[in-house]
Amino acid sequence: MSIETHGLRKQYDSTVALSDVSVSVGDDVQVLALIGPSGGGKSTFLRLIGGLERPCSGSVSVDGKTLPDGERALLEWRKRNGFLFQAFNLFPHLTAEENVILPLVEVHEISREEATAGAREVLSRFGLGDHLAKQPGQLSGGQQQRVALARAIAHRPRWLLLDEPTSALDPEMKAEVLDLIDELRQNGQRIILSTHEMGFARRAADHVVFLSGGRKLEEGNAERLFTSPETAEVRSFLQKVMKW
Amino acid sequence: MKAFLGVFVSVVLGSTFCFVFWVVISHEYQWSDIAPYKGNFVSGWWTTLLISAIALVGSIVIGALLTSGQLSPWSAPRVLSRTFVEIIRGTPLLTQILIGYYLVAPAIGWDSRFGVGVLILSCFAGAYLSEIFRGGIESIPSTQWLSARAIGFTDAQTYRFVVIPQAIRRVLPASAGQFANLIKDSSLLFVISVHEFTMQAREVNANTYATFEAYLPLIFGYFVLTFPISLISRHLEKRFSYEH
Ligand SMILES: Nc1ncnc2c1ncn2[C@@H]1O[C@H](COP(=O)(O)OP(=O)(O)O)[C@@H](O)[C@H]1O
Ligand SMILES: [Mg+2]
Repeated sequence: MSIETHGLRKQYDSTVALSDVSVSVGDDVQVLALIGPSGGGKSTFLRLIGGLERPCSGSVSVDGKTLPDGERALLEWRKRNGFLFQAFNLFPHLTAEENVILPLVEVHEISREEATAGAREVLSRFGLGDHLAKQPGQLSGGQQQRVALARAIAHRPRWLLLDEPTSALDPEMKAEVLDLIDELRQNGQRIILSTHEMGFARRAADHVVFLSGGRKLEEGNAERLFTSPETAEVRSFLQKVMKW
Repeated sequence: MKAFLGVFVSVVLGSTFCFVFWVVISHEYQWSDIAPYKGNFVSGWWTTLLISAIALVGSIVIGALLTSGQLSPWSAPRVLSRTFVEIIRGTPLLTQILIGYYLVAPAIGWDSRFGVGVLILSCFAGAYLSEIFRGGIESIPSTQWLSARAIGFTDAQTYRFVVIPQAIRRVLPASAGQFANLIKDSSLLFVISVHEFTMQAREVNANTYATFEAYLPLIFGYFVLTFPISLISRHLEKRFSYEH
């Protein structure tokens, strides 16, 4: 199993963000999509898988390794992944290029020359070759998100975790970011993403987990879940969001 | 409306400035009365410069220590730093200087007016600076912390590469104001007979009864010290600037 959780629970003060979520995702799954209404627990699930937070109870294991306890070990866990959030995750005081270089040098201990070459290569591939020296504030939302994506994959992470990567973007920019994600998928990148782009989830994901109110209502093969959902809530959710 | 406000502010400030300038200029001064005391002014000015320069560095060090104390995960340094800041900010500098020099310093066998004066000024300005620093650090949005953690930064790396560089830009204007205050506050060291600039002016006044002639040099002397701070701060603001 590549991703397995058992009885995952996360509570913030009195808010239960996730409760008793168990999923098992096979090795054959390259792209896992999390869908469901806002507040359903998608971001929390991603933060737990990514080792950004510890669950209150339950366990997480990825590629046969169990999410560790100590801060040091969690740091190692995070380094293996690449994370992209909805927005605002670049460092505004650094140039696009430096945003990608900094973690390579400081976290992954790659030499500055090698890191610079790597950063330029990825940014150019993402169509940002002319914007290397610009700060995030000088870039469009779509460009910023592409820089953030470049930073998330520059160290060749085992899993790329995307939390609603296009929710804050205009339609045109959504498309350019989704195209890139799809390209990464075609190159074999393993991805877990939460999204409201049902068309994209259906086309790109192998496996889908539906979260609502902190609970897992359904999971399964993407095509199957989209064509014949088992529960009434999933069916009505899909009808609503697919209507337009 | 905007244009009207602009004209209004310009006219009011411009005419007030001209009026005050004219009043000051047109007074009949007896510069010959204070001419023999030129050396006193010069030595007082140098003393003020020296006190201010050392206390400025000292206040940054103490301010940084108090800030890290206040942001500490442990409660002892938090409570102690907080208490120190509240006491220093809530009581008159004059009293602090008196207590420091006449009660505390003798108790530890330290007899240097200059040294005690500089240390107390450093603590006083440091307490204010620490609040400015803390405000700057806390104003960095939590999304920056999340991104930094996701990249694999430790807390120390997050402060060094993400939080402090952005906070510096935000605390510069208020810190520059605090430094100008520090320079002017050094005049209170007259209570322990440190022969700084203002003390010299007082003595000249006492000897000559030429009040305006004795005190007017203070305007130029202090302005020459405070204005460069303003210029340097603006220069640094530009250097550390970034678009949001
Ligand atoms: N850091 C937090 N502090 C308090 N409540 C939180 C926090 N993160 C998430 N929650 C709450 O947990 C629930 C699930 O949130 P989230 O995982 O963000 O859902 P989704 O990403 O599906 O919209 C929501 O009710 C949300 O308000
Ligand atoms: Mg979310």
